[in-house]
Amino acid sequence: MNRTASICAAVQVVVVVAGAPLLVGLMRQVRARLEGRAGAGISQPWRDLRKLLRRAPATPTGTGWAFRLAPLLLVGTSLVLAAVVPLLTTASPLNHTADLFAVVGLLALGTVTLALAALDTGTAFGGMGASREMTILALVEPTILVAVLALSARVGSTNLAEIVTTTLNDPLRVASPASLLAAAALLIVVVAETGRLPVDNPATHLELTMIHEAMILEYAGSDLALVELAASMRLTILLGLLTSLFLPWGIAGASLAALPLALAAFGVKVAILGIGLGAAEVFIAKLRLFRVPELLAGSFVLAVLAVASSFFLA
Amino acid sequence: MTDTSYPLYLDLAAGLFLLTAVGVLWRHQLAAMIRLFALQGAALAAIVAILGVHQHSLELILVALGLGVLRAGILPYLAARALGDSAAEARETRPVVNVAASLLAAAALTLLAYAVTQPLVALAPSPATAILPAAVAVVLIGFFTLVTRRRALSQVVGFLLLDNGITATAFLAAAGVPLIVELGVSFDLLLVVLVLQVLTTRLRTAFGSSDLDELRELHD
Amino acid sequence: MNVIGWALAGAGVLAGLGVLAAVVAPRRTRPAYVGAATAGIGVAGLVMGVAALSGQAFQARLPGLLPLAGVRIEVDPLGGWFLAVTGGVLAAAALYGIGYAGGGHGPSGRGVQAALPVFAISMLLVPAAASVSTLLVWWELMALTSLLLILAEHRGRPAVAQAGWWYAALTQVGFVAILLGLLLYAAHAGGDSFADLRAAHLSPALRGVVFVLVLAGFGAKAGLVPLHVWLPRAHAEAPSPVSAMLSAAMVNLGVYGVVRVGFDLLGGGSRWWWVLVLAFGAISALYGILQAAVAADVKRLLAYSTVENMGLVFLSLGAAGIFRAAGAPVLAGLALAAALLHVLNHAAFKALLFTAAGSVLRATGTRDLDALGGLRSRMPATTVLFAIGALCAAALPPGNGFVSEWLLLQSLVHALPAGGVVTAVAMPLAVAVVALTAGLAVATFVKALGVGFFARARSEAAGAAQESPPMMLAAMGVLAAVCAGLALAPAALGPALSRAVTAATRAPAGVVGGGVSLRLAGIASTLSPLLIAVAVVVATAGTAVLLRLAARRVTRRRSVALWACGAGPPTARMQYTAASFAQPLQRVFDDVLAPETDVDVTPYAESQYLVARVAYQARVSDRVEDALYVPVIAAARRLGRLGPVLANGSVHRYLAYGFFGVTGLLLVLAVTR
Repeated sequence: MNRTASICAAVQVVVVVAGAPLLVGLMRQVRARLEGRAGAGISQPWRDLRKLLRRAPATPTGTGWAFRLAPLLLVGTSLVLAAVVPLLTTASPLNHTADLFAVVGLLALGTVTLALAALDTGTAFGGMGASREMTILALVEPTILVAVLALSARVGSTNLAEIVTTTLNDPLRVASPASLLAAAALLIVVVAETGRLPVDNPATHLELTMIHEAMILEYAGSDLALVELAASMRLTILLGLLTSLFLPWGIAGASLAALPLALAAFGVKVAILGIGLGAAEVFIAKLRLFRVPELLAGSFVLAVLAVASSFFLA
Repeated sequence: MTDTSYPLYLDLAAGLFLLTAVGVLWRHQLAAMIRLFALQGAALAAIVAILGVHQHSLELILVALGLGVLRAGILPYLAARALGDSAAEARETRPVVNVAASLLAAAALTLLAYAVTQPLVALAPSPATAILPAAVAVVLIGFFTLVTRRRALSQVVGFLLLDNGITATAFLAAAGVPLIVELGVSFDLLLVVLVLQVLTTRLRTAFGSSDLDELRELHD
Repeated sequence: MNVIGWALAGAGVLAGLGVLAAVVAPRRTRPAYVGAATAGIGVAGLVMGVAALSGQAFQARLPGLLPLAGVRIEVDPLGGWFLAVTGGVLAAAALYGIGYAGGGHGPSGRGVQAALPVFAISMLLVPAAASVSTLLVWWELMALTSLLLILAEHRGRPAVAQAGWWYAALTQVGFVAILLGLLLYAAHAGGDSFADLRAAHLSPALRGVVFVLVLAGFGAKAGLVPLHVWLPRAHAEAPSPVSAMLSAAMVNLGVYGVVRVGFDLLGGGSRWWWVLVLAFGAISALYGILQAAVAADVKRLLAYSTVENMGLVFLSLGAAGIFRAAGAPVLAGLALAAALLHVLNHAAFKALLFTAAGSVLRATGTRDLDALGGLRSRMPATTVLFAIGALCAAALPPGNGFVSEWLLLQSLVHALPAGGVVTAVAMPLAVAVVALTAGLAVATFVKALGVGFFARARSEAAGAAQESPPMMLAAMGVLAAVCAGLALAPAALGPALSRAVTAATRAPAGVVGGGVSLRLAGIASTLSPLLIAVAVVVATAGTAVLLRLAARRVTRRRSVALWACGAGPPTARMQYTAASFAQPLQRVFDDVLAPETDVDVTPYAESQYLVARVAYQARVSDRVEDALYVPVIAAARRLGRLGPVLANGSVHRYLAYGFFGVTGLLLVLAVTR
């Protein structure tokens, strides 16, 4: 039991690491095709990573250990998240160490290390990216935790595997208003946390409009490769978390035999979500920074409505 | 429809009803507010129609059709005509309470509506009364919109939301109002929107804008 | 006489020796002796607390010590929890103070140094008090000595005197409220001791009045909005070792008072009391962290963070009371356990943060974040210690703040089925408040650490900073080790926490140990902070190793100039300041904070159109102070101006007052006989 759980978790981590750049490539390709361009192909992010790994990293003068440590810590927390979140299987040895609150905390830890690294560079753009990112992080927290409340109060636990298993046993609950509202709220949260449109434009080259990109302006070479890999891993994990919480069919239990089916199901679900997000990005414009709190307040209202409807409609 | 899916459809229609009210608070463009109001009219008609199908009542289904035509068709069309073509007038730029705070207030009003209607729901528990809180929440949100928006048209949309909510509460809690009362109220609404359309056109030609706070300067 | 008794006696002796040393010793060695005595008192307190938490009890009665009522002392596990926290903070802060005083820094006057051991022993005796008069006497003694300590540097800075005034006024207001409440209670109970109070039967209305008065009084000490206005001033202006003691030990005694009177003596009470506590706790938490997020003075930021954390503790207490009144004792025990654990965690990281901030102040002479920066290379150890404190304060895993917040959220999240409309409305709002507070705390401490310690120095003082002496670093290291221990092995506290909660509410605590993970009774959630930390470290190290292998053929890391988008060499002034970092948050919460900006344009005398000088000032003042206190103070001043009308200098008028007073009283007596 313990060995199969470890193997399942290891497979999950490897799949996330290998598949994350492919997901980002897929989203970029969808965007390119819809915009009338040929696109660079799905595996372009992997080619970029290989190119970056071959270059020497740079340490700008005046930076310190925070700048050096941030890419490593970012990838480290993403790897732990990949092992904890039930993407392919609900049996992971880290099952009882981290629950949904710990997942939210680890995501925040990764963001914080990057913000500190940005402040460590001492440039105005680094400070700007860090301050904007921290504002968005602070405003997203209420939505996440109230949505966690809506999801876990019925189940009686905040343990991710429990939530997924309960949803698997009671599929009709997914169509209830509480579940739909929580899904909408969490979709907005995922867009905000991963820096996609309309909160942040990942393809912008205008520094004054950047949030995430502004924090990583000074990174080069293998450092930049790690940061990009971590960002794509976080996107994959968050989209996978969405599908596991609301569309959990195909997730394996503790058996190795069900893993290939789980892998295929995960791939299909996350790809569909990714294509949908990428297509939607073609039609949305980026919001002004001071309109983002309105969007996040709206997602908070959706989360509160989810809680209210799950306990007053019960 | 089957007995198990009836509560589900009713819940989904009520959810759409409440979400369109929240959406009216969220959006800045007046045209978007009018579209959301039309969607809410359709959701209200759907709620009444589902109730009618479940109770096998032809009268309710006809009332639902009438409601749909009026509140999802005629009223939004008239309101859109009152909007006019000028782009400068098309946005709610600076409401009395800003959008983020309005959304938080909408969440608080929803919780208040749920808390206050608990005794009513407990009187006769059924899927129809279970969505009563959503209707009362729409009443409160419509009232809030009426109070905090500056443009005459957004205030009218708030007033229409308020009326939608009252109608929904009437149908859910009291199994409908008498048809004659409903006809009278609908006629009043029609008159309100027609008068508004004429008034805003005249105001625009005379003063150049219909922002209600600027209209206070007429008081001299 | 068991361990607790001996430790108490030892603390008393050390206090006496400390006062003697303060009076007798020469100026150069005075802080060292007094600091050692205070540290000894702290260790004694820690011993008392740990002994009480492991099951020993102690009672003593000294009838002669105070007139009329005598002194009653009883140490139970609840008191023991607060004794342990207070004692630990006292020991570490006193050691830090010994190092701080080296080189002529810090206060060394006789009065101030004599006040320190008395402050320490009175803080230890408040949780050990078992009668109303004992509690009140030691409470007031603690307040007076802390006032002396806060005013230590008043000759150098006028802001200190102002802070002293605010502190004195609000402490006395709080004391009067506690006095009224407890004396009312004792009068109706017919006795002074806590045992009499527990056994008393009062009407619900009277119990409500007592609770509200006691909440106001103890809440003022803990910094509950709107009675918090003294906290940012006093904690910022006091010398740094004293700030650590105030913020990490004294404010906890406000929490102790509410738990003791509300849960233990009054027996739980009605639900509306605890809804009030929850509401005020939530408001304090939000308001405190908002003010901290926009503060540019590092000690003021830490003081507002204390307001926030105490708000979270009161929120947990409120939740515990509501659950208990709703008949869910397991959840109530869990929420109370979360509150007590947060008190301990907050004491550890706040003491660490204040001592680190004190090191920075001592080395650079400034508290302004906008003038600091670059301390990472000049004071590396202090930076790492502040970073540990900031991680814990921001409630991120694997810090200790995360563990107590996790417990609190578990109790709130699983409360909904327990029932009642009030719970169903209050719990989502409480979760939302805790979440927003946590998010803002992350932003605040990223600002404090990033702007204050990283990148380049923004002023010459910061550029010339030296690392602190070893004694200070040792004390900070001890606090950091305590934080790490609490973060990684919180399950070890399970039995002690259970005993403390049971002593307060006679209900089980709901926190079960379980080796490396924290398990909850009745709720299927677990958390293992140690394994999370190990996993993150292993993953990070693994990434570093894999990177080394994958990028083997790459040339080594180069040192380059900052790119900064090709804008030329960046100066230290181009960096983001604390004010600019907080600007988006300030704009989002504009309605709550109401920042003020002043632009002052001075033209030349000869021509109005030629500008000589432009001065820009931006300020976020405490809105509660402006809205609530300034009108009250203005009204008091107006009332005071009536004084000269009454006392206009005429001797005949004063004699007439006496004459009419006596004859009027005799008249009243004659009429009413």
